[in-house]
Amino acid sequence: MSPLLQGIATILIGVGGCVGYFYGANLLLDRVIFPPSGRDPGANISRANAVRPWLFMAPAMAALGLYLVYPVLGSFWRSLFNRDGGSFIGLGNYTDLAADPAFRTAVLNNLLWVLVVPAASTFLGLVAAQLTDRIRWGNIAKSIIFMPMAISFVGASLIWKFVYANEADIGLLNAIRAALGFDDPIDVIQIPFWNNFFLMAILIWIQTGFAMVILSAALRGIPDETIEAAILDGANPFQIFFRIMVPQITGTILVVWTTITILVLKVFDIVYTMTGGNFGTQILPSYMMSYMFKDDGRATAVAFVIMLIVLPVMVWNILQARKEMR
Amino acid sequence: MQLIAMAGPVAAALTLAAGAAHAQGLVFTPGEDDRFSWPSYEAFAESHDLSGKTLDISGVWTGPDKDLVESVLAYFEAATGARVRYSGSESFEQDIVIAAQAGSAPNIAVFPQPGLAADMARRGFLSPLGADTADWVRANYAAGESWVDLGTYEDEIGAEALYGFFYKIDVKSLVWYVPDAFAEAGYEVPDTLEDLKALTERIAEEGGTPWCIGLGSGAATGWPATDWVEDLMLRREAPGTYDAWVSHQIPFNDPAVVGAIEDYGWFARNDAYVEGGAQAVATTDFRESPAGLFTFPPGCYMHRQASFIDTYFPEGSEIGLDVDFFYFPAYAERDLGRPVLGAGTLWAITRESEAAHVFIDFLKTPIAHEVWMAQSGFLTPFTGASPEAYATDSMRAQGEILTSATTFRFDGSDLMPGEIGADAFWKGMVAYTTGRSDAETAAQEIERRWNAIR
Repeated sequence: MSPLLQGIATILIGVGGCVGYFYGANLLLDRVIFPPSGRDPGANISRANAVRPWLFMAPAMAALGLYLVYPVLGSFWRSLFNRDGGSFIGLGNYTDLAADPAFRTAVLNNLLWVLVVPAASTFLGLVAAQLTDRIRWGNIAKSIIFMPMAISFVGASLIWKFVYANEADIGLLNAIRAALGFDDPIDVIQIPFWNNFFLMAILIWIQTGFAMVILSAALRGIPDETIEAAILDGANPFQIFFRIMVPQITGTILVVWTTITILVLKVFDIVYTMTGGNFGTQILPSYMMSYMFKDDGRATAVAFVIMLIVLPVMVWNILQARKEMR
Repeated sequence: MQLIAMAGPVAAALTLAAGAAHAQGLVFTPGEDDRFSWPSYEAFAESHDLSGKTLDISGVWTGPDKDLVESVLAYFEAATGARVRYSGSESFEQDIVIAAQAGSAPNIAVFPQPGLAADMARRGFLSPLGADTADWVRANYAAGESWVDLGTYEDEIGAEALYGFFYKIDVKSLVWYVPDAFAEAGYEVPDTLEDLKALTERIAEEGGTPWCIGLGSGAATGWPATDWVEDLMLRREAPGTYDAWVSHQIPFNDPAVVGAIEDYGWFARNDAYVEGGAQAVATTDFRESPAGLFTFPPGCYMHRQASFIDTYFPEGSEIGLDVDFFYFPAYAERDLGRPVLGAGTLWAITRESEAAHVFIDFLKTPIAHEVWMAQSGFLTPFTGASPEAYATDSMRAQGEILTSATTFRFDGSDLMPGEIGADAFWKGMVAYTTGRSDAETAAQEIERRWNAIR
């Protein structure tokens, strides 16, 4: 069968199956299980209506259970075993993690990333959104700022590898240094502690565009009356921005902030391609990667730790998004 | 439905025709060209008949390598009348385990390194090659005992036997240099490691930079340093110590290992000895690191790297003329012979059949080696294969390093558990090279991680 036919067949079976399920399930519920007849038709109708939502949600819940809940539980179970899954070692992988200085470095670095990247991206995005709304070539500026979003993390890392290159003829950073009269190129990727920030710059570069787009939409949603009133009251531009506009879009800012935070906790490509976790730049996902396919028990344990850290941020994010929607 | 029913016979007929055409399409006509050892091939052909039998082979070789191995297999088909089906897979290492567990293993598998083969032997998936094959390897391979050891594994009950037949080897103990640059500065190829160190000092004193070293390799950053340490380990300690190190019978921070790491540091941690200074070593990409050899004046005079590195030399540079290599020499005072570090693939029987054993016998004929030698990218320690068959002088010279080896050892980091050989060791070497930790601390950290394996 040609791929086209396969595709069409898949769509037909999928859509037909869904329609068939809902139609059939409804029919079964209304005609067979709780028919609106017999001694008390009213009670049967209300019973059927109580069951109906569950019936309709069942496929989605089954899919979520299979692809989300089961893997989470399965991963936790797997993390209690040794490297090849052969013997049960309880929480051994977790106690080993706690004792591993490299793991602690990864946690601390991750903490640094979580504090710096979302804050910087959101702030820069907010400023960019406000400023580009005010100028004529704002849309061009917006497109340029947004463009890195379209680049993969690995691609972005490669670009920045050139920016940071240890030679003045290749590396932009060292070229600027050379132009300023320093004749020794520096390798910023190797400067202890600060190299983390040079890696973060890449993610900030990528994510600022995202923050800008969302926040720009939120800024446009602010009623003009509040700003006019502030102008009439003699507020200066800074006061208008920080006292009038920002408070009105706090919800959006928080959603953007937490969304980027979740991303930061997952991102590993940048560290993996830039340093491979060397020079003290390890973060949790890249730390996990160094065990993956080698010691699956340990790698799953790290994955579980990451999930535990992401979870509260996730919950907070959903609550905020809900509040926004009201 | 009818279409599918038809497809079976048609496909079978097609592959049969292809197989027949294949058997005829031998790259070198038997009997012609006296670089090849035809008599032994003809004797093999006369004494074996496998007409109507088939042999399934799976391996790691894909793309051009698949064509090359099939060119060798064609001779086996022509000699015995058997039909060989070779399938190469990018994910061979997963596929073969799944196939073995499902009971659908091919007759023969080509493993990229001993680790997985040893693992499969322990689970009872491999068939022993027999004592006669072990004796044959011992007698006909240079450093034969090393090759027998590398192919000998324990089975389910812990009994040792030869399971792996090594074939297609890469040599790692090479130092690349530019003969013209050496001649101009009046340097000579050193015969001993003492001479190499003296040469290093002399180049630095005369204002040159002796070495180009680059450890950068993305997430695998650091691996070139592990090759250095392994090579030096073989030159400082008896092979038994190397084996004990690789199999963790001695701790990673054993003084012998720390000594080898420090010896590597003698070259790599001295700003005057490496292009760009010691700091640059860790982030210079290994693919770009040989570039210094080809600049004028030379950015560096020597580069220690395996045979594959010529791929990254400037386009059109001819080995032997623009650039050449010499054997990374051994210490004269330690008297450990000529150890060679390398890597390679091995054949093993994953499902018994008469054809499988005949095929292993076929590998003992020189022709099974010479056909590939005469094409590209193939080195053999088999002393019976005619060195004349090598396609180029540089391959012949590398082959000679292999056949004149007294000890051969497999890349140690490939034999260690993944998180050590392909992570902790790399990272430890980066930390040591950049001066973030000393040899003792780096080795201790690797040892700690090795002990943490459950």
